[in-house]
Order: sequence, then C-alpha cells, then structure tokens
Amino acid sequence: MGLLAPWFLAGALAVGVPLYLHLLRRQTSTPQSFSSLMFVEPRTQSSIHHRRLRYLLLLALRLLVLVALVLAFANPYINRTAASASGERLLVVAVDRSFSMRAGTRLDDAKRQAVALLASRNPSERAQVLAFGSQVQVMTQPVIDPATLTSAVESIQPGDARGSYGALAAALRSIAQTVQTPIELHIFSDMQKTNMPPSFSEMAMPANVSLVLHPVVKDAVPNWTVESVNAPAQVWDPKKARVQAVVAGFGTAAATRNVSLVINGKTASSKQVNVPAGGRATVEFDSLDVPYGFSRCAVKIDSADAMPADDQYMFSVERSDPLRVLFVREPTDSRSQLYFGSALGSSAQSAFVIESVPGAQLQGTDPTKYAFVVISDVASLPEGAQNVLTRYVRAGGNVLIAAGTTMARLQDVPVSGSKISGGKYYSRDGAGFATVSDTDTSFAAVGKADQWGGVKFYYAVSIDPTGSRVIARLTDQTPLILEKQIGEGRVVVFASGFDNLTNDLPLHPLFVPFIEQTAQYLSGLQEREGTRLVDSYLQLRSAKEQAVSVEVIDPQGKRPLSINQATTATSFQLTDAGFYELKLANGRQDVVGVNADRRESDLTLMPDDVLALWSGKPNGGVETAGAAAADPSPDDAAREKKPYSFAWYVLVVLLAAALAESVLASRYLNTQREDS
Amino acid sequence: MQRFLDPAVLNAISGLDLVAKTVVDGFVAGLHRSPDFGFSQEFAEYRAYSPGDDLRHVDWNVFARTERAYLKRYRGETNSLLTVLLDASNSMKYSSHSVNKMDYARFTAASLFYLAIQNQRDAAGLIVFDDEVRNYIRPSTRQGQLQRLLAGLELAEPRARTDFGKPLHHFQEFLRRRGLVVILSDFYEKPETIIRTIEPLRFHGNEVVLFHILDPKEIQPRMNEAVVLVDMETSARMEVTPDYINKDYREKIDAHIAALRDGAKGAGMDYHLLVTDQPLDGVLSEYLTIRQGRD
Repeated sequence: MGLLAPWFLAGALAVGVPLYLHLLRRQTSTPQSFSSLMFVEPRTQSSIHHRRLRYLLLLALRLLVLVALVLAFANPYINRTAASASGERLLVVAVDRSFSMRAGTRLDDAKRQAVALLASRNPSERAQVLAFGSQVQVMTQPVIDPATLTSAVESIQPGDARGSYGALAAALRSIAQTVQTPIELHIFSDMQKTNMPPSFSEMAMPANVSLVLHPVVKDAVPNWTVESVNAPAQVWDPKKARVQAVVAGFGTAAATRNVSLVINGKTASSKQVNVPAGGRATVEFDSLDVPYGFSRCAVKIDSADAMPADDQYMFSVERSDPLRVLFVREPTDSRSQLYFGSALGSSAQSAFVIESVPGAQLQGTDPTKYAFVVISDVASLPEGAQNVLTRYVRAGGNVLIAAGTTMARLQDVPVSGSKISGGKYYSRDGAGFATVSDTDTSFAAVGKADQWGGVKFYYAVSIDPTGSRVIARLTDQTPLILEKQIGEGRVVVFASGFDNLTNDLPLHPLFVPFIEQTAQYLSGLQEREGTRLVDSYLQLRSAKEQAVSVEVIDPQGKRPLSINQATTATSFQLTDAGFYELKLANGRQDVVGVNADRRESDLTLMPDDVLALWSGKPNGGVETAGAAAADPSPDDAAREKKPYSFAWYVLVVLLAAALAESVLASRYLNTQREDS
Repeated sequence: MQRFLDPAVLNAISGLDLVAKTVVDGFVAGLHRSPDFGFSQEFAEYRAYSPGDDLRHVDWNVFARTERAYLKRYRGETNSLLTVLLDASNSMKYSSHSVNKMDYARFTAASLFYLAIQNQRDAAGLIVFDDEVRNYIRPSTRQGQLQRLLAGLELAEPRARTDFGKPLHHFQEFLRRRGLVVILSDFYEKPETIIRTIEPLRFHGNEVVLFHILDPKEIQPRMNEAVVLVDMETSARMEVTPDYINKDYREKIDAHIAALRDGAKGAGMDYHLLVTDQPLDGVLSEYLTIRQGRD
C-alpha cells in the first residue's frame, strides 16, 4: 500500500480545526439561570456522558470527512496480485488467424487451447475473444456467457493476411483505455518471427495488461513456397512472353522441386529446379501461351510440406492484339522511324505496331484508332489534320512530338501550341555539346532510363515551357522534355530529333527503355497489374468517376461490396488469396491474382529472449500446450503485483461521512435552538 | 374580566396604581354585586341594659313601648389592618415568559392595597424583605397612603437571597396590631422553617395568608438535553439531566408545595399557590373572603 501523492498528507493538519472548535465550544457553553437549585440534584455523571456521546460522534464524523478528503487527494493505492484482482479483471483471448496458421493443425490447436482456457476460468469472470491477422477482429464484447465465448472461438476461420503483433498491441491499448479493470491477455499463436513489427515498442502492452503467451508450436518447421512470380500482365505475342518464378525454402534441406506453370487450370509446362538448403532458385518459362482475354495462371511446386497453401503463386494475364502507333514524319526522314520502330520492337512485350504516314498525308487519318500518335519533326501539318489531332488530345488521346531542325522553323509546336523561339546548335567538337543536367524522375520514362549524362545533344529547339511540365533540361537550361496536359490528353514534346543527327540518343542503350516506357505511358499500359498481395488496396475509381457502379467478385464467387459501396467506394481491400474479378468505374474489366504475403511462409519462431522481453517474465511467460489446458493462470501472472488505486472508494466514504455529518449537525443545532 | 386580570396584559400597563385600579374595578364589576355589600352597619341583637353601659346605645323606641331599657348592638364596625410582606430576593426575578415573579407579586400587592384602601377603608402597610427588612411602610388610612405603598412596591427591586429567620423579629415588632398579614414569596426554604418562622405572627391574632408565587416552568420545567443551571440567589452551578428535571424535580416541587400547604393549614394559616401565568382574581377573592370572616 502506498500513496501516489503523499505531499497531500500535509492537509491532515486541518483535523486540528474541528478539534479546537469542539473543545472551545465545550468551554463556552451558556448556562441557564434558574430561580433556585433547592430541588435540583447534581446528577452530572449521566448528563456529561450523554452529551459527550453525541458530541464525539459529530466530532468523529467531521474528522473522518477531513481525513477522507486528504486521503483522496493523496491517491492511495495497494499492490494487488492478479489473483486478488481476478474478480474484476477482464480475460482477453486472442487467436492468431494469419496465413501461417494454415500450416498443419495450428489454428485448430490454438482454438482448442483457447476453449480450454475459457472453460477453466472463473464463471463470473468477464472474457472477450479476439482474432487477429494484419487487423484485429473483435469476435465478442466482454461477456461471461461461456457458450457465446466458445462459439466465438469456434467461428474463427483461417485468413490469408499477414499476422501483426503490433496491430494486436494497438487494439489492446485501445481496449485498456475503455476498460478500467486489469486485463489478462492470452495469445494463442505460432509466434512467427516475421509477424513482429519493425519496432519492438509497437508490441508493448499497456501497464494494466498482463500477457500470457500460448505458442501452438515449439519448433520451426521447414516450408517450401513460390516466393514470387514475374509475369507480364498483358501479352501480345505469347512466344515472346516469359514467366520467372522464385522458389524458396525456409529451413529446408537442398532438394529438387518440380515447378509447374498452370494456365486456366491446366498445366502448360513443368520444370525441375534444384534449390539449395534454405535458399532460393529461379525458374523461367519461355512462353506464356494464353488465349485471348483474361487467363488465370499460377506457378506451382510439389512441396509435400505442412503448408500447401503457399505452394502456388497466382497471377492473371490478358492477351490482346498489339497496339497500333501512328508515326507521322517527313517523307524524307526515314531515320527517325527506323530508330523509333527498332526501339519499340526490341522491347520484351512487342505490344506496339508502327504505322508510318507522311505529315502531308495525315488528312483523313483517324487518330482514335491508335494507342498514341508520334509526330516526328514535321515541317507542317494540314490544317484539318491538326484540328483532328487537337480534338483527339482533348478527348483523352496522347501525342509524342519530336521537335528537330525542321520543326524549329514553326512558330508553335503542333497540337501543343507552345511557342518556339528557334533552335540551338551545340558544337560537335570537344566538349561543346549539351547534355542533360536536370531530370524529373517521377516521369517513369526518364526515371527508369538513367545514364542520361552520357547522351550528347548537338541541336535542340527552344520551346517556351509556360503551361508545361519540364521533365528534363539540358545544361544550358533549355527544356528538353516537356509534358503538357490538354483536356483529358497529354502531349509530350522531345525538343530534339530521333534521327541520330541532332543527338546520339538513338545509339545509347537507354533509348530503348525510354521509348518503351514513354509508349507504355502514353498508351496507358502501365496501369494494369496481374498480381497483388493480400491486404493491399485496389483502386476502383478515380476522383472523376463518381456515382458509377463498380463490381467486385471475390475468390469465393461472392460480391463483398454492398450496392451503396459499389457506387461510392473508391478502393477495396483484397483480404483473401485467389482471383478477384473486377469491373471498374472506367468500364474496364480485370482479373487480379491475389497471393498471401510470402513472409508468412517463413515459419521461424520468435526467439525465447524476445518472448521473455515481450511478456515481461523471466521464463518468457510461455506456456506449453498441455499446461495451458490444465492451468490457464500461471503462478507468475497470479503473483504479479500492480498498483490499484482506491481513491474512488475514499471519495465514497467522504460523501457518506459528509451527509451523516450534515444530518447530525442539523439535529444538534435544532436541539440547541429549541432549548434557547 | 379575565382579560383585564391577565398578568401579560397588566405587564403592558405602566404604573401600579393604574394596574391596581384595573384589576380591582374589573374584579368588582365581575361580581355583579354592590361594592358595599356586607360591610355596612348591620343590626345584630338587643341586650338588657346594665349599669355602666353607654346610654347612647339605648333603644329608646323600645323603652317607650315596653318601659324596659335595651341596648342595640351592631355587627362588625371595626376596620381591618392589611400588611403585605413582599419577598424581594433574587429568585423572584425568574421568569419563563413576559411577567416575572416579582412583577406578579407587585401586581398582587398593588391590587390588594387598592382594594383595601379605596374600597374597604382599611389600613394597609408594606414590608419588603429579603434576608433582612429592606423597607417598611406603616399601615395607615391617611391620605396618600396608597401612593406611598405603590411607591414602595416600585422601589422593591429583587436582590440578595431569602432568609425568613433573620427579619422575623422585625415582623413582630411591626405587627403589634391585629390584622391581616399577606406574605408574597416563592418560599424557597424548607416548609417547616417557613412555618416555624411565620407561625408567631399568628399568635398575635393576625390572619396570615401565604401567597406562594411560582413560575409555570418552576412547577413543570421542560428540558431536552442536559444543561448547566445557575442558582439566581447563590450563583451556584449544577449540571442536570432532562430525566431528572422531568421526573424527580417535579416530584420534589410538588412535595414541597404540598408540605407547605399542609404546614400552613396546620398552623392556622391560609395558603394559596399563584402561578404567574394565571389571572389575579383568585388573590382578590381570597382577601375578600378573609375580610368578611373577620367582621
């Protein structure tokens, strides 16, 4: 027992006030005159006794009020053990339902131990059931009904999310703020090391929570998994598409695994791979022969381990015809098309087919049939064609313009409308050429294609950057790459040519990724992903696509979104592994393969010292499975002492004493008034 | 009539003469009789003349008819002598309401004086005493006697304590003539002491009347808790309990009153208990009854 604010005890000196007043009052009592005491006998013994009884009771009540007031401010507390506080504590049972609990009978063991713990608790003790993965799911409110608690534990189903002890600790901190009583938390989990948050402090429990750990496994078990798959989300030429998969073994011996590529449920290809002990091996499939449309693909291994759920990695592939690109050039310029077409053709996907047309013959060509349009250093465009291109851009089309020596003679950049103030020649001799000095790496085509410093520029068109985003500048601050938003579309201007005359960019290795990324950016191909992880969020609509219904079908074939959510939700969390079918707000349909986080496949356990540190007990606060069923309350937890303030009880005593004092004092005063 | 004899009403009247007049006139009017009743010269009997008798009392009309001399005798022609002994000790200051015992005694004495002098033509005197005789006004029928007596009453402020033994011989000196002696006191003394002290007055042929004046709270005090009581004469302090006051004290004061009444009756004296919240008519009735008996 102690006091949290002992300095307030100095207020106890105030008890001298009623003592002084009561003594003074006794001395100054007013006697009554009487005509004669002839018939009065001095029976003072009983008289004084009677008066002092009442007097002392009033004095005692007043002293009690003062002492209780001082004690309430001093905030007294006692150290109570968990056992002594068992009548008021809250028993919280948290069952791990993360992806790793699918291994063997881990989840069933955890639920069985949890039910045994609930069955052996004090029947009058309140308990609450939680299930946790990456998030905490409250299965019940604090109740004492054993049937409710047991059914809540039984209803916990295995999840595909990654476990997070940090999320569990955060939830307990929230519960501890609302529940004033001590909390005894029992965690039934596989104590997976990868479930720990980056910072150990995130796992720390509040002061009034005593933690008891119930590991459902004692030792780590080896586990095989397909850790990752690198496959194109879109395929235009199946023969050029490749699939790379990484097979990993956690705690495994060196072995040969059979890896299969499964397309729409059928095994398309199989390979043998030698995986070193506890290591990784890469498998590559040279073709991805999928039919047109969406295909559900997976890479599988024959692991024969205790956790088959992570033996396949799912992804989706969309096969379509190559996209057409309209390449507008001067009739005399054949070099630009050669370099640009070679760059597009050498990309892995071969998603684009170039159709070349001279600028003068552009009239009558419908640009909406093309993924995007390239205007390569043309002297002029027919008036009508330029208007068509402008409307095309405003409606959402994209144009890439290479402004070389020919276009420098124009007043404005076609379609873009940016002012041209002439061309700049740089010397080809010595170090007189210009290079790229500043780049905006957020532009994917520039960010991924690094090493711009080695590209020599001999000529550049000086374009007014007003209203445009400058993505790259030359050393003399001349804008080299500009992007301008016009309506719903974009115009990217390259202030030099693709002809290897005004610069040597086409001869550099970065030319291919630059052209490939720029083409993907302008055609919109980069937005699709064929695979995602559980718990990631899927963008359902943009800010401009409100009030348009979307549709999500989960791996079980159910629609998780309500009608209201389908028209308002902007994102959706992928909670289960499998294939999701989507119909997005922009009208596109998609299929996404969702896989569990492969960190869950590493079944390495938390070290004992970490468990001890977490639970705050020398032996780690860990119970064996048998001990947990026999005695759910370990002695250590029972002996653990924690301060328990009873200032509220003192306040109740203070209130009662004050009321009693008021009643007694008023009666006393009334008696005196009647006598006087 | 009661309204005019109420002590609380009388206390609001300034001047004992007016108080006395109010009481007596109100009392007499309430009798519905003539104020001269019973006190005029009345024929009593005839007695045969014997030598030496005063010839002025011979009824000559009878002698003319019978030639025998008879003397005509009348009843009660003598005047009474009223002497009031007023206790002026400190205990007479006690009061539980607007009229204390001393005021009540003053009203009583003033009313007796008024009735005796104005209505009965009696001589009246006053002795004020506590533990000694503090004032003595000789009984007289002279002009202005009533004013002297009332002035003596006004000056009789309570002080000291009661002691009947000490002023006794003074009483006997003053009361040489036969008459009516009225003692107004709260008689806080042993009844046998009081009787033994006052009894000699009776031997001189005086009619002695004890008017025992007490406050109602002295007879039936009420207390809810123990208090410290201070004797008004001796200043002694004593702490008493409600139980004692409500039971034992009442028994004792009742026994005291009974003993005093019995002692007075045994000694041939009249005793009357006067409570200060009661009207004064009882006092006056007693006086007139005694006065009539003496004629």
